[in-house]
Amino acid sequence: MPYIGVAAGWGNVTSAATALANQLNFEDLVREHERMVFSIAYHFLQNGAAAEEVSQDVFLALFRGLSKLESRAHVTFWLRRVTCHRSIDYARRNKNAAAEVSWDELPEQPPENNSAQRGDPMLSKRLRQVIATLPEKMRMIVILRYQEDAGLEEIAKALRIPLNTVKSTLHRAHAILREKIGAAIGEGNV
Amino acid sequence: MSDKLEQELKKALRRVEPPASFAERVLARAAEEEKPGAPLRPWPQWLGMGGLRWAAASALCAALATSGLVYHHERQKQGEEAKEQLMLALRITSSKLQIAAEGVQQMNSPEENQP
Repeated sequence: MPYIGVAAGWGNVTSAATALANQLNFEDLVREHERMVFSIAYHFLQNGAAAEEVSQDVFLALFRGLSKLESRAHVTFWLRRVTCHRSIDYARRNKNAAAEVSWDELPEQPPENNSAQRGDPMLSKRLRQVIATLPEKMRMIVILRYQEDAGLEEIAKALRIPLNTVKSTLHRAHAILREKIGAAIGEGNV
Repeated sequence: MSDKLEQELKKALRRVEPPASFAERVLARAAEEEKPGAPLRPWPQWLGMGGLRWAAASALCAALATSGLVYHHERQKQGEEAKEQLMLALRITSSKLQIAAEGVQQMNSPEENQP
């Protein structure tokens, strides 16, 4: 059973880490943050396999640099930032493959535990399709804002861009989204 | 910004579950990296990518500084050689002038001018 093998090898892994790294147990951190990391990559790349590849690389980078991180909050911030940048890098490297996501290619949303918050699946799919056509920085800002409920300053720090750029980009994203799907959500075009 | 659009965005972009056994695969890869036979990274772990950039920048600065010093040293050496050549030329000229002056002096001396 693979997990037993992992657990057996894990003793060696933790023995090599620093005291702080032991305190921030890597396995706990993976389990705590896997949904956040995978979801950012998944919503940005719109591809489950690509999202897993990016997410695994992000956690391996965390594993290598765990001793440099100071607290759980620092880990969360670091993971969010690195996932954003690695997702953007991945999309740039595979630009031709992910240039335009058609309706049929767009994956179904993986199952969600709380089905009450699911909303209209067709509308959500249409929204994700429109989000997939946004420029990369704008797309990532929208994802951080609405997936992670991140504040504007948090987004600016994570993406290393000025706060005013975040504000103006989000404003433009709203305008684009309202223009393309405003009618579907009961709003007229602005 | 309308609340309706924001609500729909939150629903469309809700967090999703990663594929089954995702964490196990991450932990397996991490454990694999720590095995004694695992391939070494091309640079020390403490260096990292940021450190690598700094090391490359430092090496470039050191190379530029060294080449600057070598160039300065070469220029100084060439200047000294030119100075020595000039001094030699002046010494030769000076001795020739001395001989000429002595000749002129002899021609002008009273003993030699006597019939």
